[in-house]
Amino acid sequence: MTISEHLHTLEIRGLTVRKGGVEILSGIDADLRCGEVTALVGPNGAGKTTLLLAILGQVPYTGEIRFCRAAEHGEGAPRIGYVPQSLPLDADAPITVLDFFALSAQRRPVFLGVSRRTREAACESLERAGVGHLLRSPLGRLSGGELQRVLFALALRDAPDILLLDEPVSGVDVAGEELFCDFLSKVQRDSRFSLLLVSHDLSVVTRHADQVICLNRRLVCSGATTEVLTPGNLAAMYGADAHLFRHAHADGHGHLHDEGGR
Amino acid sequence: MDTILSGVVSLMDRLLPFAFAEPAFMKRALLALLLTAPTAAALGVPLVQHRMAFFSDAIGHSAFTGVALGVLLGVSPSWTMAAFGAVVAVVITLVKGRTGLSSDTVIGVFFSTVVALGIAIISREKGLTRNLQAFLYGDPLAVADVELLWMAGLFLLVSAYLAFLYNRILLLGIHEGFARTKGVRTPALEISFALVVALVVTAAIRTVGILLVTALLVIPPAAARNVARGAASALWVSVGVATLSGFAGIVASWYLDTATGATVVLAAATCFAATALYRATRRRE
Repeated sequence: MTISEHLHTLEIRGLTVRKGGVEILSGIDADLRCGEVTALVGPNGAGKTTLLLAILGQVPYTGEIRFCRAAEHGEGAPRIGYVPQSLPLDADAPITVLDFFALSAQRRPVFLGVSRRTREAACESLERAGVGHLLRSPLGRLSGGELQRVLFALALRDAPDILLLDEPVSGVDVAGEELFCDFLSKVQRDSRFSLLLVSHDLSVVTRHADQVICLNRRLVCSGATTEVLTPGNLAAMYGADAHLFRHAHADGHGHLHDEGGR
Repeated sequence: MDTILSGVVSLMDRLLPFAFAEPAFMKRALLALLLTAPTAAALGVPLVQHRMAFFSDAIGHSAFTGVALGVLLGVSPSWTMAAFGAVVAVVITLVKGRTGLSSDTVIGVFFSTVVALGIAIISREKGLTRNLQAFLYGDPLAVADVELLWMAGLFLLVSAYLAFLYNRILLLGIHEGFARTKGVRTPALEISFALVVALVVTAAIRTVGILLVTALLVIPPAAARNVARGAASALWVSVGVATLSGFAGIVASWYLDTATGATVVLAAATCFAATALYRATRRRE
């Protein structure tokens, strides 16, 4: 582990979010640490996306979200990257991947052309994500896996201090999985960078996350992955009938099954 | 100002030595269309991306009330129409973000309310109906010189607005949450966009009328979507389609003796059909 092990990039204290009189999240305490992957798990409707939106400052909340940035991390407010689950685009939307990169990179309006610097930066990060060939593809026609790689590439281009990934592995193919591992090695290389990952896939969580935050409208538990993902905690989060058990898959990863639903 | 206009008129005489372009009112109508139609078409590209076609229709119909208010108050209806349209645009945008209702429901509520209010006022005041005709169907042949100057001003304003904010508006139309993380100040941008749309819609009503104004913002971008792959070509094809339909529509209306606004919209619809055909044949190959 690196020296920055105990450096927090984000501290959440007593976070409560209300929507229409209902508490969606109540009294959440959690920390994100530098150079670590923190997984956010919980059943549907547990408030995972709401927590992301609160961190992004896009929903009103009470409590405290403190961004911590040590001097060695550079000046100014931390950059927060965000990879949404998907983009609600028509297949016919006349926007290419390159246009999409240009929209957040250059002052010049895209209808007057994409600057060379923007194009080179886009090429480079798309190549790194293994999707250089998609530069001129229409954004609305990408497959789920392709789109996620494009979004990963865009997130990497802007070198965030904190990256929030919403369900990044659902529907991603083998190559996407490799890219995801790439991401993680970057997290470990670069101590400035911490990753908050919303995931339904506990196999991904057990393999990649250092810390886990279990959420079900309130904080169920949090801590190191190996200590937190116990049958008791999973039952508290998903209901008593849920079990984490190992399949006879070649990869031998745990999957969560809801036996009560059968 | 007069010298600029007379310069433009003599230039048109030289470029367009045809019967249809001889009368001064036809020159003014052509200028009005070539100023408003491409402006509306350029703004229409992000408008369609934001799925705001219904919004622009609601602003168009708010002109009923705007015109009625102008006549009631003894002010020029063009002013009250623009002002009332801007108010409705801002109110819809603010309410939309603060309720759990979907945006088309919110727009539907305001749409019917402003139309009902307009009709109620008009039905009380005898003699208002005649005033309304020109706004309902548009009357580019009656555009005055001073209105042309306003349209030119709006053309410049929208060009500057799009030059500065186009990227952010498009990003906002793709994914609001994502756009915010890229530093787009969403409420301010949304309101400014709604205001610019309101100004363009109320200016374009002069040329094609309340009933057809949405066509100028929606048909050219829709035609562009059939052929354009990228953001740059989408805007330029849309502007090209609008310019072509404005010109072709006014010429055709002269020879066919049809309403100018409606003929322009039919020309745009023809462009849409042609691009859709082109796209269908390209797909089959």
